Amino acid sequence: MARLRRESGALEAGALVEPEERLIERVPRVVWLAAVGVLLLSLWQLLTMIGTVSPILLPGPAEVADEIVDSATNIVSGGHVAEALATTVVEILLGFIGAAVLGFGLGVLVGETRIGQTAVMPYLVGFNALPKVAFAPVFVAWFGFGVESKIVMAMFIAFFPMAVDTAAGLASVDRDALLMFRQLQAGRRKTLLKLKLPTALPYIFAGLKTATVFSVVGAIVGEYLGGGGGMGELVRLSAQSLRIDRVFALITYLAVVAMVMFAIVSWVERRVVFWQQGEELEGKAAWPTS
Amino acid sequence: MSKTFALRRVHALAEVDLDLQPGSFYSIIGPSGCGKSTLLKLIAGLMRPSSGHVTVAGTTVTGPRRDIGMMFQQPVLLPWRTALSNVLLPIEIRDGSSAARKVRDTALGLLELVGLHGFDNVYPYELSGGMAQRVAICRMLITEPTLLLLDEPFGALDELTRDVMNLELARICESRNVTTFMVTHSIPEAVFLSDVVFVMSARPGRIADTIRVDLPRPRTLEVLSNDRFTGFVKQLRLSLAVGAA
Repeated sequence: MARLRRESGALEAGALVEPEERLIERVPRVVWLAAVGVLLLSLWQLLTMIGTVSPILLPGPAEVADEIVDSATNIVSGGHVAEALATTVVEILLGFIGAAVLGFGLGVLVGETRIGQTAVMPYLVGFNALPKVAFAPVFVAWFGFGVESKIVMAMFIAFFPMAVDTAAGLASVDRDALLMFRQLQAGRRKTLLKLKLPTALPYIFAGLKTATVFSVVGAIVGEYLGGGGGMGELVRLSAQSLRIDRVFALITYLAVVAMVMFAIVSWVERRVVFWQQGEELEGKAAWPTS
Repeated sequence: MSKTFALRRVHALAEVDLDLQPGSFYSIIGPSGCGKSTLLKLIAGLMRPSSGHVTVAGTTVTGPRRDIGMMFQQPVLLPWRTALSNVLLPIEIRDGSSAARKVRDTALGLLELVGLHGFDNVYPYELSGGMAQRVAICRMLITEPTLLLLDEPFGALDELTRDVMNLELARICESRNVTTFMVTHSIPEAVFLSDVVFVMSARPGRIADTIRVDLPRPRTLEVLSNDRFTGFVKQLRLSLAVGAA
């Protein structure tokens, strides 16, 4: 008994002096990511193999992979999936750019003016909290079944986080820094350009990242409800004919589009907002949810 | 050249009348909320007195002006600018970028003066707290102000760094013939740096006592172990205790 205790005591002391690296730290992150991915795929495969769910409603990973490859060849050869993807990507990009420009503009107006901060900001935050996809039928009624209604929908959803984050970023300026700029006799324009906008950059990029994801959501929802020739329409048609494997394949492509856009914005952010590193950035880079 | 401040009956302050001689170092010490920072902002022209006036170098202060340099408890460096670019900021704002380029050598000289030679291209996140405050000192000096207003400049630093920074500040102020007005919470700091220490009491904010510290200059760390230094510290502590009672 005494010996046992001494042994465990020695072990503890050893752990204090030279903390043994835990398994999670020893194995590279890629391996863990791959392991969880394989686990999820296996669960999925297992679920289809048990036979409780009809393979029509839930196709296995292999079937979906087949469809992804099929669609890929279709995209490469410029088939109808390629056309749909191009249509949707254009809608997403135009919606995103529109939301970024307008959101930034309104954000600056709201964040820079007293009336904006006191009277407009609450409306922005309120609108931002609304289930904005509910407006999709309105835009279809207003702008028809073409790409316009989808662009507007994408822009509408992505606009609010962009505007709110920009305004919040401008308001986040340190009080002492403002006092210093006042003491240096900096006018409004110089204070905005040399202090407030650079301070707001991390917020603006957070808004941009949310906007990338939201513009994808907006374009797809617009297509679900307003038809047209995009990916949303293909998904809807595939689901109607119970080609769930194809639905999953198409969604995979949409996910890739969203991830590429998000990655590009993050890449630019790391280069522009170089001074903000570590956890602070990681917290803001969290994948936004709609 | 003469520089006098006359300050009477200001907002949140009772009758406060100070007359500062050029080239001297003044400290103001007192409990929190006694209006020390308000007084500093009034002198800086960042606040208007509800009555009375502030005069610097013969003219009444009506707003911020370039012959006054300011320093805060936090260094307030812009993180996207290098140390050198932060030092040049006041010139860039007041006179534009080309004027800032012209005083680049002056700025480098200031960085060297505070012991930051070779740190000109370093960003603030790579600097320690003491180093960041040194950059803030350079930024304050780049416009060659004749009056320095310091709002607890080293209050956020650890005590060891603080001693070194005080020594540095004493050296800079002695060599530049500037008038300095510092708000502080530290009795030894006030005695070490000042020619005159004003003791303020709260509600209403007023000058309760004025202590002249005639320790020899230049002040070195040996002053700290001097009997007369300890005497002034005691006197000041007593005066603050009376004011608080």
